[in-house]
Amino acid sequence: MKTLKHFIYIIVGLVGLVACKPEINTPKPSHGTANFSRFIAVGNSLTAGYADGGLYLQGQLNSYPAIMAKQMLSVGGGTFTQPLFSTAQSNGSGYLQLTGFSSTGSPITAPVTSNLAVRGILPVPGFGNVTLYSKYSGDINNYGVPGIKLLNITYAPYGNLNGFYERLLPGDSPTNTTPYLAFITAKPFTFFSNWLGNNDALAYATSGGAGDVLTDPTTFAALNTLLINTLTQGGAKGVVATIPDVTSIPYFNTVTEGAILAAVQKANPSVTGLYINALVSGTTYAPRVATPTDLIVLTFPTSKIGQPVSTPYGTLPYGLTPYTPIDNQYVLDANEVTLTENAVTAFNSSITSTANAKGLAVFDAYTFLKNIKSNGLVTNGISLNSNYISGGLFSLDGVHLTPRGYAIVANEFIKAINSKYGSNIPLADVAAYGGIKFP
Amino acid sequence: MKKILLLVLALIPVLTFAQGFQVNLEGQKQIGMGHTGTGLVQDGASVFFNPGAVVLLPENYIQAGISPLLFKSDFNPSGTNAQYQSLNKVATPFNFYAVWGPKSSWWKLGLGVYTPFGGLTDWGKSWQGKYVLESLDLKAIYFQPTLSIKINKVLSIGGGFVYNRGSVDLTQAIPLGNSSGQDGQAELKGTGKGYGWNAGLYIKPSSKISIGLTHRSKVSTTINNSDAIFTVPASVQGGFPQPNTFTATIPLPATNSLGIGFYPTDRWTVALDVNLINWNVYKVLAFDYKTNTSSLQDTYSQRNYKNAVSLRAGAQYKANTKTALRFGGGYASTAVRDGYVTPEAPDANRVYVTAGLGYKLAKGLDVDVSFEYEHLMSRTQTNIQSQLSGTFETNVYIPGISLAYHW
Repeated sequence: MKTLKHFIYIIVGLVGLVACKPEINTPKPSHGTANFSRFIAVGNSLTAGYADGGLYLQGQLNSYPAIMAKQMLSVGGGTFTQPLFSTAQSNGSGYLQLTGFSSTGSPITAPVTSNLAVRGILPVPGFGNVTLYSKYSGDINNYGVPGIKLLNITYAPYGNLNGFYERLLPGDSPTNTTPYLAFITAKPFTFFSNWLGNNDALAYATSGGAGDVLTDPTTFAALNTLLINTLTQGGAKGVVATIPDVTSIPYFNTVTEGAILAAVQKANPSVTGLYINALVSGTTYAPRVATPTDLIVLTFPTSKIGQPVSTPYGTLPYGLTPYTPIDNQYVLDANEVTLTENAVTAFNSSITSTANAKGLAVFDAYTFLKNIKSNGLVTNGISLNSNYISGGLFSLDGVHLTPRGYAIVANEFIKAINSKYGSNIPLADVAAYGGIKFP
Repeated sequence: MKKILLLVLALIPVLTFAQGFQVNLEGQKQIGMGHTGTGLVQDGASVFFNPGAVVLLPENYIQAGISPLLFKSDFNPSGTNAQYQSLNKVATPFNFYAVWGPKSSWWKLGLGVYTPFGGLTDWGKSWQGKYVLESLDLKAIYFQPTLSIKINKVLSIGGGFVYNRGSVDLTQAIPLGNSSGQDGQAELKGTGKGYGWNAGLYIKPSSKISIGLTHRSKVSTTINNSDAIFTVPASVQGGFPQPNTFTATIPLPATNSLGIGFYPTDRWTVALDVNLINWNVYKVLAFDYKTNTSSLQDTYSQRNYKNAVSLRAGAQYKANTKTALRFGGGYASTAVRDGYVTPEAPDANRVYVTAGLGYKLAKGLDVDVSFEYEHLMSRTQTNIQSQLSGTFETNVYIPGISLAYHW
């Protein structure tokens, strides 16, 4: 019996001793040849954390620079401060919320209008109304400004025309004279990310080629060189990203010509095509039948189709005759798509060559998102793709990303940095960031 | 006509049973000796280890044992310093045997109830692989009536029929967040059954050596009409109709064993076992949901397991008439190919050591205790299906105790 007792003691002892958990040895954190102590992020709405058609606190907290900075902490990253909206005004500019689905499965969205940070609306002569937001006066690491183009970075009055930029400046519109480039480089930094340039193509594309113009590629190249030279002149290292193909976003691939036509034909089988006002060349537009290569924007109110329109030829249904084509602003037609794509290709070649010349890391967002568009992306058991809502990557505006989408982008930036500078910034847990919120 | 959208929620949960959930804990005496026993006559556990040896038991037996099992897994996602540990949950594999026959007769009857397959893994609801698996509780309980016959002085044979009662309870997060950002949940829960058989041959050519050869058949276990519970936000619940059921078949593989016992002195018994486990029957895992929608399709996922081998050795030393000391160990190769490792039981090649003690409490009453420590080698993998990428490492701690009454 004594032996048995001893044996039981031994076993209990063994259990106590070894019931410690297994532990996998991970590589020691290293910043490589880079220094992340003051990291700044330069860019537009994507950088600011814009999502669901607005800039709001929850989106800011999940911006890709914020995610990157959090991951950088273990390799010498410093405090990362964002120009956050206050909790009381957490809905910022307002944004879209998914409220349900119609009986046919179409999503229904509603704008969030409470707890906004809107300070006022200022009419600027010769420009239009500028929405102003509550001022932010603290330290800034995330310089993402929704709407900004590369074209705007040296334009001194820009701080009067963009409310998201104006809120970061001390002065009130229309008294500002600090160009964006000077603003972001005023305080020293050791590392930067730059993802400017999307709006130089996107603003044109999302307005159906009607409400804006593409930035001239030569101007783009010159400004990009100036930007990168300025960002690197103090010895900072950094990462830049290419501009995604605007046609790879759900904004242009959800309300399709085929889907509208099919729905029209359900009610009226004799209809054979939709008419659009399409670019012929230069600035000449002419009506023609739409094809699948003409991209219709997500915000097109499809209820307009077939509505009576009075014309010199009598009352005709909207979108269904050459005399009543779908308005230009709703369609990025095939020729406009080509113009946009050519511009993006030219912009990206400037971005890549300048970055390579300066030895910067490059995240090729163009290739990455194009690849997701064609093949989808599976990660951590989540199947993602570029579809609207169901794809999980893009937020309700069809252009900007969900927190999960931003986490994936942050990881791609981190991979590019790690491979360029020999650092090992740990990747973020994509599964910990959410997607679209369903009611 | 509002907005026309091609909206299909293509978020099909793919639920998986992975891994060789083989649990080698079928008798405390045998566990102590590295889970050898195919070529030995130890006690009622021969019903499992070798039905051919049952008839050679000198007495009738009734015995029961339990082996509380703590499975501690660690996961380090690729490119991170994060470590996720499975929660402390104790599984309870058990064994029960009864053997009866006329004294010194040419036949004996046996009954075994044991748990040769199972798994209990709980990673919690907030780890990186939650969309692959949160928790799994899988049990297979085999009921095996057995007949053993002595052919002559050297050779005896035996065989049994196996009825398996299996149960599964699996949970997984679904990437459909509600308005507060909480994930949807899938739970598959139910029971099933399967049939098989077990046969063995026992040869004792001399007093110094004995040899056993057994085959335990495949038991294809079908989980039928079991609950498929999906909790998702109300606006997308239509894609996951409730109530719903599923059917799935899991082939629990056949095992071929060869065991040899050596008796160098009166006090020493040395045993060697070799097992070949036919895991290659596990090619695919298919889930058939009763009600399908565009969001909830039947799934069909590749498993492509390969056959596995285990080598075991053990020894017993009779310290005195009342006490037996045992020790052993072994090595088992993994059935899971690269690219197919999943968090249910992140399989890898494994080594283990065991120790045991037998003590005679009274006439006809034995108590046996055992302890096993198993280490699954660290394995860095990217799963082909889920793209969950990282390193798994696992330790298993299994104390155990049994009581045997024989007369």
